[in-house]
Amino acid sequence: MRALNRFFSRTGNFVTRRRSDERLREELEQHVVLQAEENVRGGMSPEEARRQALLKLGSIEVVRERYSEEKSLPLLECLQQDTRFALRQLRKSPGFTAVAVLTLALGIGANTAVFSIVYSALLQPLPYRDASRLMVLNETTPRVGVVSVSYPNFLDWRAQSHTFSQMAALDAVSFNLSGVTEPESISGLAVSPNFLAMMGVQPVIGRDFEAAEENQGTAPVAILSDSLWQRRFAGDAGVLGRAIVLDGRDFTIVGVLPSNFVAPSKTDVLIPIGVWITNNSEEAHDRGDRGDMPVIGRLAPGMTVTQATSEMEGIESRLAKEYPAANDNYGVALQPIRDVFVGQTRPALLVLFGAVIFVLLIACANVANLFLVRGTGRTKEMAVRMALGASTSRIFAQMLTESLVLSVLGGLFGLGVAFAGVRGIGRLIPAGLLPGGAAGLNIPVLLFTAGIVLLAAFVFGITPALHWNRTDVQSELKEGSRSSSAGTAHSRVRGALAIVEAALALVLLVGAGLMMKSLYRLLQVDPGFRTDQVLTMTMSLRPDQYSKVPAVRNFWQQVLQRVRELPGIESAAVATNTPMSGNHGRNDITIEGMAQPRPGNYPHPDGHVVSPGYVQTLGISLLRGRSFTEADKEDAPLVAMINQRLANQFFPNQDPIGKRFMFGHPNTEQQPKWRTIVGVLGDTKLYGLANLSRLEVYVPFRQAPSGQMDLLVKSRVDPAALTSALRSAVYSVDKDQSIASIATMKQLVDNSLATRRMTLVLLGLFSAVALVLGAIGIYGVISYSVAQRTREIGVRMALGAPREGVFRMVIGQGVKLAGTGIAIGIFAALGLARLMSSLLYQVSTADFGTFTFVAVLLLLVAFAASYIPARRAISVEPIVALRYE
Amino acid sequence: MKEKTEVQQGTLALMVLRTLNVLGPLHGYGIAKRIEQISGDLLSVNQGTLYPVLLKLEQEGSIASDWGSSENNRRARFYRLTRAGQKQLRAETENWEKTTTIIARFFEVKREDLA
Repeated sequence: MRALNRFFSRTGNFVTRRRSDERLREELEQHVVLQAEENVRGGMSPEEARRQALLKLGSIEVVRERYSEEKSLPLLECLQQDTRFALRQLRKSPGFTAVAVLTLALGIGANTAVFSIVYSALLQPLPYRDASRLMVLNETTPRVGVVSVSYPNFLDWRAQSHTFSQMAALDAVSFNLSGVTEPESISGLAVSPNFLAMMGVQPVIGRDFEAAEENQGTAPVAILSDSLWQRRFAGDAGVLGRAIVLDGRDFTIVGVLPSNFVAPSKTDVLIPIGVWITNNSEEAHDRGDRGDMPVIGRLAPGMTVTQATSEMEGIESRLAKEYPAANDNYGVALQPIRDVFVGQTRPALLVLFGAVIFVLLIACANVANLFLVRGTGRTKEMAVRMALGASTSRIFAQMLTESLVLSVLGGLFGLGVAFAGVRGIGRLIPAGLLPGGAAGLNIPVLLFTAGIVLLAAFVFGITPALHWNRTDVQSELKEGSRSSSAGTAHSRVRGALAIVEAALALVLLVGAGLMMKSLYRLLQVDPGFRTDQVLTMTMSLRPDQYSKVPAVRNFWQQVLQRVRELPGIESAAVATNTPMSGNHGRNDITIEGMAQPRPGNYPHPDGHVVSPGYVQTLGISLLRGRSFTEADKEDAPLVAMINQRLANQFFPNQDPIGKRFMFGHPNTEQQPKWRTIVGVLGDTKLYGLANLSRLEVYVPFRQAPSGQMDLLVKSRVDPAALTSALRSAVYSVDKDQSIASIATMKQLVDNSLATRRMTLVLLGLFSAVALVLGAIGIYGVISYSVAQRTREIGVRMALGAPREGVFRMVIGQGVKLAGTGIAIGIFAALGLARLMSSLLYQVSTADFGTFTFVAVLLLLVAFAASYIPARRAISVEPIVALRYE
Repeated sequence: MKEKTEVQQGTLALMVLRTLNVLGPLHGYGIAKRIEQISGDLLSVNQGTLYPVLLKLEQEGSIASDWGSSENNRRARFYRLTRAGQKQLRAETENWEKTTTIIARFFEVKREDLA
């Protein structure tokens, strides 16, 4: 309590700057007077009395010192003094300050910007209760990898698992929302009723789903997302109990989700899984039907991921034995829920974070270098201070304070850089990466920046500060000459810093070079389809209005007809599962005459339902046979096309034309529906340029029309200009039909490269900064060394050294520093590049060309950086130089 | 010349508290003089060091101070014990007595007593 009182008083005194020792002076004076009076009474002369009184009081300086130490907080006092002194020093050398602050601002700003992205993608807590306990479960097959879960299997999982306290199934659904304004295509999730409770999310208004809503036949109800609620109902709380028209059916609104709600896929609306079962009864009861239904589970208290994984594997293998027709060969995969959001971007983000820390280190090395240059000029100042009794630790503290002040200034400007940076990077990051929406400068990010500022101050402050310790005070004062013993030690440290910079810059440049080469290689990949002048438009028809096959066929036929009439259109087609759309539909097929494989081992191609004109519109190459025509009608013989890969794999050395296959497995109860292969198409890169080609089959759309198709248009003009004409063409067929998305094929391909492009742009930017800073570092070292050696150079030239020799000596110095840095950097890069191997495409992490190019580039830069000081060196007039003596 | 003992700060503080308790409000010089008198000149304080101790006690809340008028009619700072100071003094006195008792016993003990 007393200690606390004392601390508060001291802090109070410190803050209010009540530090005047007026009171003490007065008290001491009074003390002396009283003592002197007493002494006079004792018989002394007034002068002697005062002298004795003063003697008795002791050293006033010591008293005053102890008094003021007691009064305030000495440590803070020092810090304040040092800070004020540092600011004064920095003001005195504005050039130094500006360069140092700018360099640091760049380093700290870039770090803050990248960290804010890393934070919101990888670290920010997901808006679920105890999100680290939530796992996403999927089934797997050895051939395809992760597929989703069939509903009957989910029910068995949930019943048998003990390692999970709760499980919920999520089926992605999409709806045509109509009845209010313009029709809109929205996406949602059909979820088990315990889903929200398990995630720890509560509706802001209304209720959660109830257990009974898991059953078939339950009444259609919906919980709206906040954005849909705002968009369609202006946030009206009276919306509860009203109906929303989804796919032409009324759903009663029972609740609204909080605004920070996110789901693994875009979600405008939640419906209970019972409604989905009602509408998709067949699918929901088919154990072999794995649509688009991941499962989320919450680990039971005390259970680990390993325990859960082994339990689930056990359950899955029991299910495989019990239902071999549907489950043989299937496994199960668990992943933390965050992985679903971050996915494959994690390595890219980590590489970028590492890179940006390198940039900061280079910036620190540069500033340390600047400090050392300036320090040389201050050697004498320091020596004088030490001679006057300043302790080494006190000088050390003061040097570090100077670094800290500089670093804080750099940090403040760095926040400006970061602000601009976050907005710039925001445009580069792949959509959907950040679960919390946009990245920003929030509290954790600012704390990180503060940490970086401290760290930077320490990193670049420690070298010069430590260096002072070794300064020999005596020799400094004695010699009084311009060449000091510290000089050589200094230049050695500075050389080392320049080498470090070169090494770090090389690593960054190698990273950027490898990314650039990958992206170049990727852009060279032939996707197998045309990306220019093609527009895709995604639509899904309302099942109630288009419940019959003829209606669906009719709708698409009419749309195609209207679109083909538009000016500027070269060709148009409709198709399912078009490249880059992210949609896929895969089916097992049975090829006539093949040996019957195990259930998980049937050929499992991607299937496309396409209209005639698809091959021309996308410019896919027709290798053999023919493509579909209008003659491939509903009542015509069943036909199909296959891709080259399927042809090579299943019809090696044969002509596949005329061979037959059917969808599904042989079934004794049904007459097999064989399809005759009429054409072979080139492979298309369905899921991105870097992905391997897959097996593909095509069937004519009139023989299997689908309610969810993409309209593809190849135009003579810029396809983006056609969007409104295309929209009205669709509305003229059905004014209530929504359009889910419109994009040019080029945009879709670009989006598929977003992560790589972001990595490349940022790595390129960072390595450019590194290169410039490194060049400045080398330039600084060389030009300073030239300035210091002016006299020596003058003597050499006076003694007849040729100019070229001097020139070569100076350049050589710079190149030697860079060379050493490059050698170290190459070793480091060989190790570090392996961390980014997953980001590369057909480029080795030790790519000889990239390494060579980067090394040569750095050498050239070092040459250029040494060139100016070298010119200066040979322009030294021997006479002038010697006159210094 | 008499041997003089250097006083520790903690002890000095206790003496200050005790002096103020016995004599009531006093200025710095008065406190110093009392301490000197009572210790019979055994204790020489570099009298100035008293003032940082007074400040410390004041910041801790054990004593308080006000300007007043001294015997020679000059402005002087008078220190007085606060309620917290009285409590502290009681506690420390008790503590001190306990310590001295124990130490005293150690000095009294003879070899035979322990046998």
